[in-house]
Amino acid sequence: MLNWQQSPIRYVDGLASYYGAMGHPPYAWTINQDAPLHRLGRPLRECRVTLLTSGGISQCAMPAWDPMARNDHRLDAIPADVSTADFQIHDAYYDHKDAERDINCQFPIDRLRELLDTGEIGSLAARFWSGFMGRIYDRSKVIGESAPAFVEQLRNDEVDLLIAVPA
Amino acid sequence: MGLVCRVVEESGIATVCLSTGRDLTVQVRPPRSAFVNFPMGNAFGKPFDVEMQTQILRHCLAIAVNCDTPGEIIDLPYNWHGPFEFNPGNSNM
Repeated sequence: MLNWQQSPIRYVDGLASYYGAMGHPPYAWTINQDAPLHRLGRPLRECRVTLLTSGGISQCAMPAWDPMARNDHRLDAIPADVSTADFQIHDAYYDHKDAERDINCQFPIDRLRELLDTGEIGSLAARFWSGFMGRIYDRSKVIGESAPAFVEQLRNDEVDLLIAVPA
Repeated sequence: MGLVCRVVEESGIATVCLSTGRDLTVQVRPPRSAFVNFPMGNAFGKPFDVEMQTQILRHCLAIAVNCDTPGEIIDLPYNWHGPFEFNPGNSNM
């Protein structure tokens, strides 16, 4: 790890005490020792890219996210030509005041569009994504249902690269 | 989210996860991650800081191209401009 001015926040400990105070059992975190890896099949300048946020971000005409959501498998498709102003954020687990002023500090849609203009990426997928908001206890449903359904959508859009931004 | 990235990666689509929770990411081990020691909600930096947002997005893309080690976490060399905390359960948010 780098020599940061501030040590990284210990979210596991923070959430354990927060959940404990609410009377919930300790969250049984998934601990993986290894990971899958699929290399990009073509140069980045030819790749189709999309974004996924789990930060309770929705378009203004859509329902607000439940800021205290648990086991919410909702997933919103957001058209890639969405206006930067067309977002609302509801999530009680992080401070999103900055992201409300400029969505790009959490969900960098304008920055990605600019990298398309400079030719650094090949194309934008037709849709961006918001879902898999935190505190999902039924992980088998993620692995068996909601993530595979998401994969189908990414395949439909012929996505090469997903940039995921948890919050 | 890391779990979702693992499923997506297994299906043959590359992923990069930009994390602000290093301990969470170490546990879940998404296929490729960048960690930035910024407040959760500011993964790409400050509002309207186009240069920083672009730099961090470029880091993510470079990791997608260059990472050869499954589960690798690349620490990005940035510091936030002041101290920050984690306060879950703020119903005003």
